[in-house]
Amino acid sequence: MNLSLFQSEIAVVLLGLGVLLADLWLPSEARNKLGYAAAAGLVAIFLYGFRGLLIDPVHVSVFPIGGSKFGMFIQDGLAVYFKQFFLLAAAIVLLMSVEYSSRFTAGISEFYSLTLFALLGMLFAASSNDFVMMFVSLELITITFVVLNSFQRNRMASLEAGVKYLIIGALASAFMVFGIALVFGSAGTTNFEEVRALQKTLAANPVFLVGLLLVTVGLGFKIAAVPFQIWAPDVYQGSPAPATAFLAVGSKAAGIVLLMRVLFGAVPMLTSHATKLLIVVAAITILYGALCAIPQRNIKRLMGYSSIANAGFLLLGVAAAPHEGLTATLYYLTGYLFTVLAAFLVIAVVLRETESEDISVLHGLGHRSPYLALALTLSMVSLAGVPPLAGFFGKFLLLRSVMAAGTLDSSYYLLVAVAVVGVVLSIYYYLGIIRAIYWGGTNPDKSVLRFGITTKVALAICIAGMLYAGVLPHFLVQTASNAVGSSLHPEPVTAQTSAAR
Amino acid sequence: MTDSAYTLLVVFLGMAVAFAAAPLAIAWLWSKRFAPRKPGTVKKDVYECGLESSTKNWVQFKSDYYLYGILFLVFDIETVFLLPFAVSFKSLPIGAVVAMLVFLLLLVEGLVWAWRKGVLNWK
Repeated sequence: MNLSLFQSEIAVVLLGLGVLLADLWLPSEARNKLGYAAAAGLVAIFLYGFRGLLIDPVHVSVFPIGGSKFGMFIQDGLAVYFKQFFLLAAAIVLLMSVEYSSRFTAGISEFYSLTLFALLGMLFAASSNDFVMMFVSLELITITFVVLNSFQRNRMASLEAGVKYLIIGALASAFMVFGIALVFGSAGTTNFEEVRALQKTLAANPVFLVGLLLVTVGLGFKIAAVPFQIWAPDVYQGSPAPATAFLAVGSKAAGIVLLMRVLFGAVPMLTSHATKLLIVVAAITILYGALCAIPQRNIKRLMGYSSIANAGFLLLGVAAAPHEGLTATLYYLTGYLFTVLAAFLVIAVVLRETESEDISVLHGLGHRSPYLALALTLSMVSLAGVPPLAGFFGKFLLLRSVMAAGTLDSSYYLLVAVAVVGVVLSIYYYLGIIRAIYWGGTNPDKSVLRFGITTKVALAICIAGMLYAGVLPHFLVQTASNAVGSSLHPEPVTAQTSAAR
Repeated sequence: MTDSAYTLLVVFLGMAVAFAAAPLAIAWLWSKRFAPRKPGTVKKDVYECGLESSTKNWVQFKSDYYLYGILFLVFDIETVFLLPFAVSFKSLPIGAVVAMLVFLLLLVEGLVWAWRKGVLNWK
């Protein structure tokens, strides 16, 4: 066993345990600062991880079960890409929680270490090469998020968010584990690569297909795609802002990477026959998210619906499959990380000062803190898909890949139309937030918003990331393309008649 | 019947259900015949270790007990994994011993954390 493959996971475990232990011997005033130490540790692991991104992507799998020649843990281009993604997201979320810590009555260091353990689950998810590994890493993410979501124990909404996430998460896990049992029962293996070798014979087996469908139900819950989106708005609204941010970025990306691994690592042939299903899910998800976001007045709930709509956009690339589509999804996800984390950094600072979460708390933000106002504006502009920010180029790449797939199957053109409608609808509510910031009328609270230098730096990183990804996308697209090319095996969409599969 | 292994499983399932249900059914029939229901005030009272109950049974229950239940899990899980480890100890490589030590240390860390947090202090 080559331990150096796990170095980032081991480092994150040690960091998490270290934070827990340090909490025991630190005076309570110093505990807030543990978040800085944890974030610094993650940044170090993140920078060290670039080594793996620059050298040729290795393709090693370890931990074989029984006599299998493939392991359950895989370290390839896609895994490295997503690990860098998760580490960066978690570092920014930790800085956000330090800023937000005054709203937690107790146990701030537990919040930090739980964030680190959720990150650990995401790192393992990025490297999953086996249905069992996938299930274990997803459970690690789900269970830690139940606690993170209900962390403001004195707020009813937060407890409600935790309970809803627990119940619906347990339901999704049950579906998934049943699906895995059916897959194992019909395929005789849980390894993605072994399933891929058997997929021609398995495609005719209804038990296997049902199992696979149930597995995608579990993953659909993670990324909040319709019809498994029902928990998202309530949980996003009730959870503390840093937990919501991590849920929107980290947890969703973990679902996407696992969906890619299953659809294009384990059963690429079946996927190429089932694109109709993906098209329908993506289209409904985009429309549902965009339409339901329009009347929202609660900022976090609005972000919840926006996150559903974005799940739909991410699925566009998955539905369009081959190389370009998946590359576009990876790129979009990276732009989404900077954009959403910038928005939540601002939201965390603003909501820390007030009980209300109505959009009207943003009124006068341009005077209270021009920097925060600028950051939130840029992030909303990017989400709406206005050039030259990351959101625009991401949507452009996604739509282009779907258009390219349209030459084989004309239902993709319909998907493009739906996506364009979704973009236009989303402009309305994203610009509504900008309107609230600058032209929203006066806010009774005219105090200047104060926030730490680390938040300033984190915001600067997010803004720089949005601009860099939008203006000079070449490097990012190239890296994403390498990651997809070295790890997944998408097959071209087959021109299909009726009855997919 | 293509696979006889599954038939065996079905038979096994049926036997398991019957094995669990039969004693209950016999006990129920037995009580029907020999101990018919005759409720009275004393009989319907709350059972308090054989003493006559002095208060209502709607009292607040100290929920702190759950912490001991959770901490017990630490040792429980430890046993579950240590037993098969111990059984095949002789044929295991040195790496397995190290892995088990890491596992034990992780669990002990949980106990240390709870201890330091004062969870074990009875209030």
